[in-house]
Amino acid sequence: MIGEPIVFWVLTVVLVGSALAVVLSKNLFHAVLWLALALTGTAGVFLLLEAEFLAAVQLLLYAGGVVTIVVFAIVVTERLVGERITQTNRRITGAALVAFTVLALIVSTVVRQPLASARPAVEGDLTRAIGEGVLTRYVLPFELLALLMVAALLGAIYFARPDE
Amino acid sequence: MPEWLIPFVASFIVLNVVIGIVTYVTLLERKFAARMQSRVGPYRVGPHGLLQPIADAVKLMMKEDVVPTAADRPVYNLAPVVFLLPCMLIFATIPFAPGLGVADLNIGVLFFLAVSSMEIVGLFMAGWGSNNKYALLSAMRAVNQVISYDLPFIFSALVPVLLAGSLRLSEIAGAQQGLWFVFYPVIGQLAFVAFIVSTVAAENRAPFDILEAESELVAGFRVEYSGMKFALIQLGEYAHILGASFLGALLFLGAWAGPGPDWMGPIWFLVKAMLVFLLVTWVRWSFVRIRVDQILALSWKALLPATLLLLVLTSIVVVWRTNGGA
Repeated sequence: MIGEPIVFWVLTVVLVGSALAVVLSKNLFHAVLWLALALTGTAGVFLLLEAEFLAAVQLLLYAGGVVTIVVFAIVVTERLVGERITQTNRRITGAALVAFTVLALIVSTVVRQPLASARPAVEGDLTRAIGEGVLTRYVLPFELLALLMVAALLGAIYFARPDE
Repeated sequence: MPEWLIPFVASFIVLNVVIGIVTYVTLLERKFAARMQSRVGPYRVGPHGLLQPIADAVKLMMKEDVVPTAADRPVYNLAPVVFLLPCMLIFATIPFAPGLGVADLNIGVLFFLAVSSMEIVGLFMAGWGSNNKYALLSAMRAVNQVISYDLPFIFSALVPVLLAGSLRLSEIAGAQQGLWFVFYPVIGQLAFVAFIVSTVAAENRAPFDILEAESELVAGFRVEYSGMKFALIQLGEYAHILGASFLGALLFLGAWAGPGPDWMGPIWFLVKAMLVFLLVTWVRWSFVRIRVDQILALSWKALLPATLLLLVLTSIVVVWRTNGGA
């Protein structure tokens, strides 16, 4: 397919650009909107790799859910407290150092593995395969994650309950 | 026609048909509401007011575009587009007849739910960008409501998915050629009621229209918009309702199933979608607005546990039936 590299590069520009904008924009609300774009771009990458299920979940949970909650948190803290929160970071050199170290680690690991030149074909219904995998072979990690989430929920309720 | 051109042409046709239907759906709603209140409704423009939507559209296009001085300009200007985009994208996966649709994804239902939940980003951009306290309050209420009603909406939409055993919209429709899921004993009716309630809430219509409550918030998040931007927001909102109506008709009312030859399929589908739309409108014009806390309590304390139980019940029935039951 000829269109694939073009779409990939467009997505790359959007993704990297919006990710940079998240970090660099001073207005916290704009940063969240850029984050929404970055997460949608990630869904686009998943879609390009024919992982439609992942793409939809990415949109549903991250671009729809997480962004909504972050926005909500900003509004509650900023407008109701009455103080404008700007997003600035003076330790930008340290952050850049850490970021580049992580990048170097990832790149060095990826380079060591020979990358397949073609995508392996996915057989059958991918959604079905994911469902079966999660409920048979990976059932223990899946249940542990569920337990973790219940614990987090209980913790949230504990902190949010009114003082007696 | 070259093969790569087909998706473009298909999306172009669907987009235009949807905008056409949306324009006339507003007239349908106004006429229906008028009848419910013993009025006549739009009558002057064209026979029986049939040209009213076109007159409205022309008027909106010619209106002056006002941008508030204190607005966050890029966000304010982009918001209507960001709002409209997901509302139009949801039509991409809907098959209007066997094999007639833009993209029949194998995760159709999930795509629909995911994209339609993106609507809130545009809504919030509009509320924030206007820099108006009514708009912001409205957007906050919207976020509250959307977080609360997304889950019951998804759970009730998953019941037909379980019954059909597929996430592909065309297969769900195909599974209902014998028995529409709304007639499935007990489960079907309960799921349909839950679906309608959460659709009304997700579309922010009365009795759940706290975010545009005229008496408190003027017009909610779109109060600062005028002209074409206002038109885009209205278009997005009605397109979203229309999309949800089509989804309801597809999940519960058997989509294109109906008497007559095959070419009647899309017509039956449209008729059923309009029935769902009128049901939602009927609810809208029958009940008074309820308070914010009542809306949230209804979702978290009643609808969410109920739909969750229904989902478990459906799974039990499906497993029992596939394992050699009746």
